[in-house]
Amino acid sequence: MSRPKLYGLMAEFDSPDALLAAAHKATAAGYRRMDAYSPMPIEELAEAVGFHHTSLPLVVLCGGILGGITGFGMQYYGSVFTFSQNVAGKPLNSWPAFIPITFELTVLFAALTCVFGMLAMNGLPTPYHPVFNVPNFALASRDKFFLCIKARDPKFDARATREFLEGLGPVEVSNVET
Amino acid sequence: MSVSDLPDVQLEQAQKPALIVGVGAAVLLVAMAFVGADRDQFFRSYLFGYVFWLAFPLGSLALLMLHHLTGGGWGFVIRRLCEAGARTFALMAVLFLPLAVGISRLYPWTRAGWAAEAAKHAPFKATYLSQPFFFTRAVIYFVVWIGLGYLLSKWSMEEDQTGDPGMHNRMEALSAPGLILYGLTATFAVIDWVMSVDPDWMSTMYGLIFVVVHVFTAMAFLIFMASRFADHEPLAKVATPSRFHDLGTLLFAFTMLWAYLAFSQFLIIWAGNLKAEITWYVHRGLGEWSWVAGLLLLFHFFVPFFILLNRPIKRRKQLMAKVALVLIVVSALDVFWIVTPSFFPAPTIHLTDVLAVAAIGGLWLWAFAKQAQGRPLVPLHDPRMEEAVEHGA
Amino acid sequence: MSAEHSAPIIEPGQTFATVTDRISAIVLTQKTGRGWWLGFGIAFSLLMLFNLAITWLFAWGVGIWGINVPVGWGFAIINFVWWVGIGHAGTLISAILLLLRQKWRTSINRFAEAMTIFAVACAGTFPLLHMGRPWLFYWLTPYPNTMFTWPQFRSPLVWDVFAVSTYATVSLLFWFVGMIPDLATLRDRARNLIGQKFYGFLAMGWRGSAVHWHRYETASLLLAGLATPLVLSVHTVVSFDFAIGIIPGWHTTIFPPYFVAGAIYSGFAMVMTLSIPLRKYYKLEDFVTMRHLDNMAKVMLATGLIVAYGYMMETFSAFYSGDLYERFMVLNRWTGPYWPFYWSLIACNIVIPQVLWSRKARSNVSLLFVISLVVNTGMWLERFIIVVTSLHRDFLPSAWGMYWPTRWDIFTYVGTLGLFFTLFFLFIRFLPVIAISEMRGLVKEEAGGSK
Repeated sequence: MSRPKLYGLMAEFDSPDALLAAAHKATAAGYRRMDAYSPMPIEELAEAVGFHHTSLPLVVLCGGILGGITGFGMQYYGSVFTFSQNVAGKPLNSWPAFIPITFELTVLFAALTCVFGMLAMNGLPTPYHPVFNVPNFALASRDKFFLCIKARDPKFDARATREFLEGLGPVEVSNVET
Repeated sequence: MSVSDLPDVQLEQAQKPALIVGVGAAVLLVAMAFVGADRDQFFRSYLFGYVFWLAFPLGSLALLMLHHLTGGGWGFVIRRLCEAGARTFALMAVLFLPLAVGISRLYPWTRAGWAAEAAKHAPFKATYLSQPFFFTRAVIYFVVWIGLGYLLSKWSMEEDQTGDPGMHNRMEALSAPGLILYGLTATFAVIDWVMSVDPDWMSTMYGLIFVVVHVFTAMAFLIFMASRFADHEPLAKVATPSRFHDLGTLLFAFTMLWAYLAFSQFLIIWAGNLKAEITWYVHRGLGEWSWVAGLLLLFHFFVPFFILLNRPIKRRKQLMAKVALVLIVVSALDVFWIVTPSFFPAPTIHLTDVLAVAAIGGLWLWAFAKQAQGRPLVPLHDPRMEEAVEHGA
Repeated sequence: MSAEHSAPIIEPGQTFATVTDRISAIVLTQKTGRGWWLGFGIAFSLLMLFNLAITWLFAWGVGIWGINVPVGWGFAIINFVWWVGIGHAGTLISAILLLLRQKWRTSINRFAEAMTIFAVACAGTFPLLHMGRPWLFYWLTPYPNTMFTWPQFRSPLVWDVFAVSTYATVSLLFWFVGMIPDLATLRDRARNLIGQKFYGFLAMGWRGSAVHWHRYETASLLLAGLATPLVLSVHTVVSFDFAIGIIPGWHTTIFPPYFVAGAIYSGFAMVMTLSIPLRKYYKLEDFVTMRHLDNMAKVMLATGLIVAYGYMMETFSAFYSGDLYERFMVLNRWTGPYWPFYWSLIACNIVIPQVLWSRKARSNVSLLFVISLVVNTGMWLERFIIVVTSLHRDFLPSAWGMYWPTRWDIFTYVGTLGLFFTLFFLFIRFLPVIAISEMRGLVKEEAGGSK
């Protein structure tokens, strides 16, 4: 039986500050492909692991504009072209009356884009992920903080990287098997 | 940084030109009323100018009390400017006098026979819109505004001098009933002074729309002023980019609130289509005034919406100052669109409109600049100050 | 500084581990208490009553209700508006307070959001049932059909379909997204296979990656930014249901802001009604502190005053406008056949809540609980007055009538209380009632920020 391939090395820390410091040091040491795991959001941690910008707001704005156009267009098309009825003497293009639904669909489309955009960008749902193989990783949702340097990092070397991580003062360093 | 940059020096320097513009425009305005003999127009323009500039002190007072109640770091950036604005009500009371003089030229309900006719179907209105009651109410409004402005400023100054934390509690305690008083007086003041120009028309949301006009205009003005002084201590301590971001977000919220209220009122009246109500919008939205309404839709909603959605813009005070300046002009257009179509079926701008804005504005800015001097621009002894400085950094 | 300013939003001594264990224990390890079974049993019985009531309704039609000409909108619309209004505080607490960076919201936002969803579910049943032929509800939606018809987009009732369904969808998404990290916590803590599978499925493989957190936080803020105007729009559209019609007492421009304020008012009252027993029963006083109750009381006081402003403007306009029917409508509310309802409403919504001005009253938990019930009642009465008194005196006396609910109206209403509380009891049994990950964030800040 061959040994399972290595996904990366995982160091466990006790506090958010230790994790943040470790991530900064790993970046300084030249590592580029890593991720950090924590039970709550930590400011600057995403930047520390090399992630700077999310295009989510822009995507959501586009979703909202699309929703607004859809909302107004649908009502205009329905009331003016295909089903043009005189209701209470109001004009066919009763634009003031179309605003509420236009608004609702703007929000609906934007919100759907937001949630599903966020999940898609995060690659969720992910039924299986190698980091879950680390026994202590269950504590990443309680009170422990993890830094994982991935094997596909060009600078990754099973021994050197392990030594580097151990030098950061972790509780433990474990192999992450795929 | 030279001495001439100091806020107090800047304010002192601004006083003279403001006074010159104010007095000059006022003299011209009065001269035109007598020479041109179009006295009706004088009062119409004056009403517009007065209602517009009244938004500055009233909005400042409302924001001041809102901050006393809710706290938040944003308030410390503008608090002293709010207090200065809230100390100008005595001037506004004096400037109200021309309206009192022109009452019979502005308000149809002062005409002979109107009250007797109204008493038949609306006895309450006939009483409400009578001159003695009208003036009694005006006196009450000014007493309330002057009183609130005076007390909040006085306690704030005592807090500065003595560092007594009890002052903060006092201001907070006054602000809750103060805001209620503000809401009531502001509502009935605009019903009296503006809405009753069309005595047959009524909208229950009218007062709230003006409350938003007040806080919106004042917020734009305060952002503009704060951005000029933000580099100076002690204001620099609190006037950080994130604070300007907060102020910009509030301005954004007021913009949206304005659009929400203005549209809701319009939609309800449009859909009801009752003769007594719809005329107001027929004047303002159907005929030639409709392009002013279109401009408002564009510049009071769409443009500020997309500009103020941008975090980077809100964090840069120089940019925000420019945006604020534009929005003040837009707010003037809004007030113009509310007030003037009652007199003219087609959009007309008179020289007197411009002069009235310049005259009242010059005098108000002069008073504001005078009041804003001589006190540190930040309430240093406010118990919440330390926290605000910490979070602002 | 006054006492409530310094009162903490999380009691000292809590760590990442303790907040996690304490809150997840309610779901995972704590034995299902007798109180839970009792409450759930009552709620479930009422839910069965609801089933009975709607079965009877489907069999016999809306004639079993008290509605008739001229009052065509009875309990169904009153309860619809009441429930939607209650839902709004949840969105407000989670969205607006998030935008305003009010940290005290953290411990109450989760169940406030749950309350929103359950309240909207209850609200949504009423217009459906009121249709008479609920199985044709899809006629309200624009869908391709052989008759080439479209919904009547000028009607506020169609706007309502869009507003309420958007609101339900967005609230559900907001609630679910907020829960993902906590579901991961439960997945990692669960001791039995069913729990692991159940929470694991819902957590979607969340692993707390820094990059994920970054996008997650962005998404939360964006959703909050979207939910804030949405919640205002929903009750605005509900107010349009009335204000667009030209009925005296309905057609007035103050309705949108006054309805929104009323919704927040009743919603906060309901949050208080739920959170006071909840914190006591599950011993969550460390998380839902006196500071929370005090703040909620203040919000109630403020929104209650805006509601009072609405009443005042309505009355003022009735007399100022000189409209015969408007004036009659107000006098009829004061002295007409429904006067006891009107004056109880004034007492419940305006007079009694003024005790909240007193700091002492705001720190008395039992009194707050009673006032929250009073406000809930008052806001229900308000909708009763708006719906019934405006309709029962038509323009011509020949069309006047009275409205009284029948037992089926009452069963349906009480039945939705059963639906609401059944869902709520299931929620507190199976899902984390407090946002664990946000509480951990709070612990982190308290540790770093306190000097």
